[in-house]
Amino acid sequence: MSAETHLRRAIVVIAVFLAVGLWLEAMYGLRLRGWVDDPIRREFLRLGHAHGGLLGLVNVAIAWALERLATPALWASRIRAAALGGALLVGLGFVGGGMWHGPTDPGPLILAVPAGAFMALASLVALALVRPSDR
Amino acid sequence: MSGRVASMWLFGPALLWGAAAIAGLCATIVDDTAWSTIDRTASVVVRSETCAGCHPVEHRSWRASYHRTMTQRAEGAAILAPFAGESLEYLGFRATMTRSERGAPHVRITRSDAAPALLDVDVVMTVGSHRYQQFLARIDRGGGPEDVWRLPVAWHLGEERWIHLNAAFLEPEGARGEEADYMRHFSRWNDNCVLCHNTAPRPGLGEDGRFNTEVGELGIACEACHGPASAHAERHSNPLRRLLAGVADAGASGDGSIAAPSRLSPALESAICGRCHGNRIAKDVGAVLREGDGFLPGTDLGASSRPIFAWSTLGDPPQAPFGERFWPDGTPRLSAYEYQGLLLSPCYADGAVGGLGCGECHTMHGEEPSMQVRQDRRGDAACRACHDDAAVPQGHGGHRGITCMDCHMPRTTYGLVDGMISHRITSPDPAAWIGRDDQPDACTLCHVDRSRVWAARSLRALKLSGSAIAAERAAEEESWASRALLDLYAGDPIQRALAAHAIAREAAPVSPSLRLSWLVDALEDEYPAIRIFALRGLRTLSERAGRDDLRGLLAAYDFLGEVDMRVAAVDAIRRAIGPGPLAAHPERVERLIAAQERQIVWIGE
Repeated sequence: MSAETHLRRAIVVIAVFLAVGLWLEAMYGLRLRGWVDDPIRREFLRLGHAHGGLLGLVNVAIAWALERLATPALWASRIRAAALGGALLVGLGFVGGGMWHGPTDPGPLILAVPAGAFMALASLVALALVRPSDR
Repeated sequence: MSGRVASMWLFGPALLWGAAAIAGLCATIVDDTAWSTIDRTASVVVRSETCAGCHPVEHRSWRASYHRTMTQRAEGAAILAPFAGESLEYLGFRATMTRSERGAPHVRITRSDAAPALLDVDVVMTVGSHRYQQFLARIDRGGGPEDVWRLPVAWHLGEERWIHLNAAFLEPEGARGEEADYMRHFSRWNDNCVLCHNTAPRPGLGEDGRFNTEVGELGIACEACHGPASAHAERHSNPLRRLLAGVADAGASGDGSIAAPSRLSPALESAICGRCHGNRIAKDVGAVLREGDGFLPGTDLGASSRPIFAWSTLGDPPQAPFGERFWPDGTPRLSAYEYQGLLLSPCYADGAVGGLGCGECHTMHGEEPSMQVRQDRRGDAACRACHDDAAVPQGHGGHRGITCMDCHMPRTTYGLVDGMISHRITSPDPAAWIGRDDQPDACTLCHVDRSRVWAARSLRALKLSGSAIAAERAAEEESWASRALLDLYAGDPIQRALAAHAIAREAAPVSPSLRLSWLVDALEDEYPAIRIFALRGLRTLSERAGRDDLRGLLAAYDFLGEVDMRVAAVDAIRRAIGPGPLAAHPERVERLIAAQERQIVWIGE
């Protein structure tokens, strides 16, 4: 993944999860059943909105830092993929777990969240540790 | 090589996690023990704090309910009375409420002539927190050290004062100085209150006649309605099972590990409430006293007991001792018979799916703890869910500004020193009861200045259905006064209480100033409970009538005070308000009072 593509996709991720926030506000305003009456759904859609948006911003920061730190291309492309994939898995995992959930817990799609978190965390660790001289 | 290392570092943990999660989900899906129907008859109580782990919202709403505080240890905020040295003089006895040296609430009851104390005990538990709070003490009266007794005094929250329990029941004062009368409601908790005011109670009556009482949890907690939950908690201790629960259980009736009232038929769901809100006769009283009532929520209540109706019998030869708890048409007239009211209602439809159940109007997990009516079932919405405007036009019968319940669930139930709505849904037919004085009707409980003949004619004028009007059947007294007034003077204790309650209601279309004088004579009623109704009504009406001058006079009246003090206070109130509606005809008052029924209404506990 090129630096430009990463930056553009990161901005798209931010836009998508900001749009989710608008959707949530609209559901509140319209007092939609299945949203107002469903605390688990409310909580997990909020978590998806917040985490997805925040990790989109982290991706923008990663895209900028990869250039500044002159991270080798072989690592940089994988860090970009892991960071972007992590943001999507975390955000959509929360949203999916909240949309289809059981009586007390989120649905099985919530299991995507830890996978995404591992990828996002690994990308940040790699960003911090990999030097320009590393091949 | 370094490309593989990079990929392993960046994606390896996520892939490992994903593989483990998928494997775990698959293993759970095919694990028969995770999904098979559970036999929960062997389940035991796990207590509400366990439920809170997975159901925090439901736990929070329950925490705010009066169910939770039904029985509590007498500690801290659970105690709603001051216990700061107050005393209550009644029937020649003095109850003094203080704190022991270690701060425990303490009650001492002596004769007013300072003889040795009848009771001198620390309170160990409280019962109730909504209307009044009762107090329990551990007393060995020959039955053993585990015996717990209800004390004869209670704290009334609305009145913010101590009352004697004779005033909470429908019975005459009793004889001054008579210990049996004073201690009438000093009753044992272990085989009585414990059964409906706690979760999974087990009275524990042994062969030696002693009790070793245990409860799953004090008060009405989660498992009182959902059943013992150990099997449910164990099954759902697997987080993957919980994640899959929504997918697997959607639309199904659950896995059988717990009773979910909202998924049950109206019959089974209402039986859960009926266990306590519908007095019953156990099939095996001995077993109940040993092990508890044996009812498992979600199963047939009739397997362990039968609800008490007016026609229910006991003994051999069979006797029907419960008639006075019901109106002549079989409608319950006491609280804690709401279940029977529902069973007698056509809307119940024999408990079939689509019929009316308790959960149609009530929720145990709503925002309003008092009455626990669903947010979407307030007012007419309770009936409109089934009876839409096309079937039953809004304001039919020319009535506007009142709800369906005012006419179809009138306040013909006495309970906890209050007038409550009937849970038997009926349509008023005053014409059918002309000439009868043994049951109030919805029309004259609101139109408190009118007769039953007037109500019958009005119903016809409003083009509502009703029986043929036979005005000649009306008794002579009906020409003297309204139905509500006749009930207030000449009714049985429940009629008198409900008439006083009706006369004071805001909805009554008669000026508060006029109604004030109607209630004064009831301050002299022989039954303290009715004097409370009259005093409360006078307070309400004087406020609405802007009669601030009555405030002090009413404050000087003590419904439990000595007769001479009460008479003096009533005379002063009467002088300030003016003569009552029958004052010009004392012979009529005498005749009505002579016709009063003075029975003790035995409220089953």
